[in-house]
Amino acid sequence: MLCAENLAVQRGSKLVLSGINLTLQPGEVLGVLGPNGAGKSTLLDALSGELKPSEGQVTLEGKPLSAWVGPERAQRLAILPQTSTLNFAFRVEDVVGMGRLPHATGRVRDQAIIAEALAAADAAHLAGRNYLELSGGERQRVHLARVLAQLWPGARGQTLLLDEPTSMLDPLHQHTTLQATRTIAASGVAVLVILHDLNLAARYCDRLLLLQGGRPHALGTPYEVLQAEPLQAVFDLEVLVQHHPERGHPLIIAR
Amino acid sequence: MRVTARIASLCCAVLLSQAATAADALPQRWVSAGGSITEWVVALGGESKLVGVDTTSLHPIELKKLPSIGYQRQLAAEGILSLKPDLLLGSEEMGPPPVLAQVKGAGVSVEALPTKSDLATLEHNLGRIGALLGDEPRAAKALADYKARLQTQAKWVSTAQADKPAPTVLLLLSHSGSSPMAAGQDTIGAWLIAQAGGRSITTHTSYKALSTEALLALDPQVIIFADRSIAGPEAKAALLKQNPALAATRAAKNDRLLALDPTLLVGGLGPRIPDALAVLGAAFYPAATPLTAVAKPQP
Amino acid sequence: MNPVVLPRSLFIALGLLLALALLFSLALGPVSLPWLDTLKATLRVFGAPLGGAELDQAELIIGQIRMPRTLLGLAVGAVLALSGVAMQGLFRNPLADPGLVGVSSGAALGAAMAIVGGAWLGGLPDAIAPYLLSACAFAGGLVVTALVYRLGSRNGQTSVSTMLLAGIALTALAGAVIGLFTYLADDATLRTLTFWNLGSLNGASYSRLWPLLVVTLAVGLWLPKRAKALNALLLGESEARHLGFEVERVKRELVFCTALGVGAAVAAAGMIGFIGLVVPHLVRLLVGPDHRVLLPASALAGAALLLFADVLARMVLAPAELPIGIVTALIGAPFFLYLLLRGRA
Repeated sequence: MLCAENLAVQRGSKLVLSGINLTLQPGEVLGVLGPNGAGKSTLLDALSGELKPSEGQVTLEGKPLSAWVGPERAQRLAILPQTSTLNFAFRVEDVVGMGRLPHATGRVRDQAIIAEALAAADAAHLAGRNYLELSGGERQRVHLARVLAQLWPGARGQTLLLDEPTSMLDPLHQHTTLQATRTIAASGVAVLVILHDLNLAARYCDRLLLLQGGRPHALGTPYEVLQAEPLQAVFDLEVLVQHHPERGHPLIIAR
Repeated sequence: MRVTARIASLCCAVLLSQAATAADALPQRWVSAGGSITEWVVALGGESKLVGVDTTSLHPIELKKLPSIGYQRQLAAEGILSLKPDLLLGSEEMGPPPVLAQVKGAGVSVEALPTKSDLATLEHNLGRIGALLGDEPRAAKALADYKARLQTQAKWVSTAQADKPAPTVLLLLSHSGSSPMAAGQDTIGAWLIAQAGGRSITTHTSYKALSTEALLALDPQVIIFADRSIAGPEAKAALLKQNPALAATRAAKNDRLLALDPTLLVGGLGPRIPDALAVLGAAFYPAATPLTAVAKPQP
Repeated sequence: MNPVVLPRSLFIALGLLLALALLFSLALGPVSLPWLDTLKATLRVFGAPLGGAELDQAELIIGQIRMPRTLLGLAVGAVLALSGVAMQGLFRNPLADPGLVGVSSGAALGAAMAIVGGAWLGGLPDAIAPYLLSACAFAGGLVVTALVYRLGSRNGQTSVSTMLLAGIALTALAGAVIGLFTYLADDATLRTLTFWNLGSLNGASYSRLWPLLVVTLAVGLWLPKRAKALNALLLGESEARHLGFEVERVKRELVFCTALGVGAAVAAAGMIGFIGLVVPHLVRLLVGPDHRVLLPASALAGAALLLFADVLARMVLAPAELPIGIVTALIGAPFFLYLLLRGRA
């Protein structure tokens, strides 16, 4: 369980994030929404330990993040960055296999996990390909498979942080990717995902955090957060909120 | 009588055999490194013993037919050993030291001679080479001749200087005319100038590049140029082309630019030095009678 | 792209290649020895009571000249290739060179100080000159690398891009100081400096060999332990951290191993270019970028390649010798261009 208490981050003299109190619950998918520069990626960096908070702290299983030994932490906390700079001709399985580096489960088990994780990210057909020859969206799915493999098969006490995992994907794979996060959440993993698409957030997230200017504007279920007033306040966008005709979750339409 | 004759003949035989062993012990296959040392070996009649020379051994031209062991400071042990020498003779610049140790370890005697440009060093070196050739008298004669020629040269210079003051001289070492370096006080270039009766006008030590303005300010009466890649009139043309400012010096205006073989400037006093001095002296004092027939001023 | 060859077949091939290189390096030279004599003499060097006085010369050539030279080539080639892998991993760039962290220019500066400074002091005794040169080159490499590392670090974090820029700046600075030494040097000193910069395995002796052998062994045993971390580092530093690696420590170790390895290699054999750049690249083309294979394979390939280059260096102009840096550059530079053009197509 990842917990942020009264988290604040400063860049120079500017407070870029403040007043964050957040607990990622097992089995729950938490979506983070907000306009550009609202502090979404900063929040993810602070939660993953990449940025030192100027105030407050982040705990994993009740223990401060910095107190964890590297591999043990990596077995419980996986992070998918927005983009990857990998510039070497690994095979797709090798990239996914890096997710198994913190584990000592053996080659046979690892290979099985790699195959399952690739299938979960709808990237099984990419096995054997050279990573550098993949498209941006394919690469993104390979990295999703990598972080899934890192936590596979998923259990309570594990946390997955995803920074815009759908940014380069076609509509179908936006859905398969978020479906994969739902699946791993079902095993008990707590998931935090940064999203831009309000309707994807409405459909796949259990709770939503709406950030504005580095401060939480709203935190609650999609029904509570995705209302015309908060969206107008945060995105400066006038919207109509309807209900999905089949699934019932909120459906956001720009006016 | 008989007995004494026998003893006498026996003694003769012993002496002869001793002489024979002494000759056997002399090194027969030589590798020589260092230009002027190789020249002396040839001058003292040892050319037939040479089986290899380094890249600085350029005179006489026939040496080019011998296997080259590379630059004297960067010798390779196995390359030298492949020539099966029993002597590696060279200047004290030979190296690197670990290679010399390896060559020595293989049973080749290594002889490193000093390269200082003075007569005492020359005397020592000629003595050694003579001993190694087993022909000390020839070495002693060569040294005596050399000394005599330098003395004659000195006398000639003092006579010439009685009529005329010593000209100011600058020696430039260049490569195809470009980036000329001026010979400083402690160089053999300065020694040559002084022996030939000139006055070297640089104040620095070793070889240094001079700016065009510094060249003009020195304004030498004579410029000696030693070019490493081209010779004679071509070198002169190249030097003037690459350094147009030189044309403004007194030396160029009066057409007193003299060519010098750059190999004379390395490795100590070589056998060709007295000839070179005579040529330079004749050019410094055009009015005086040249010392030798060869020493006519060059066009 | 699937790897062209499987790791197993690559190791077998490289093992054979290295064995061939060792054989050539021991059996070929300006002095031509019959193969049987070479074999007998080699066994005798290792203590076998073989043959009589007729083998003395062969034993000397093998034992005192070719054997130390072969060991030197083996160690220099292996450690340069390993350092190349480490640097390409650290900078996450397949075209990085061990020289990037300033170790080569630092070593060159140290050597220039020893060569020119020694000449100023009226020449050092022959007994200590080579050792002093090696020590100065080694120290110069370590000092400049430490400086580059310091300049790249802030608040306990090392920025690889700052290090890269600091390396470029310090390389330029070292170049300027070397230039100054060059200006002050006399003609003969200058040639020594030039030849040193071209590198050579010439004049190898056991007494100067062992520090390099120790360093090579240490680096060769240590770096493979960091193979997984290097793999993770290729994903990015934060990704490697998220996979549980102590990235700062790994970076420090990589820089230290490179400084130590390249420093010792340069100190023993002068500047030998392109091995550290081309060998890892070539091996990566064959088996892919996995460091668990790449590190040992590069060490084998680097050693073999340098030994072949050295056999060429000593044979081409025999009895004179070509500086090996010229040979490696003549082979390496066109190959590198080929890789560049091939990548663009």
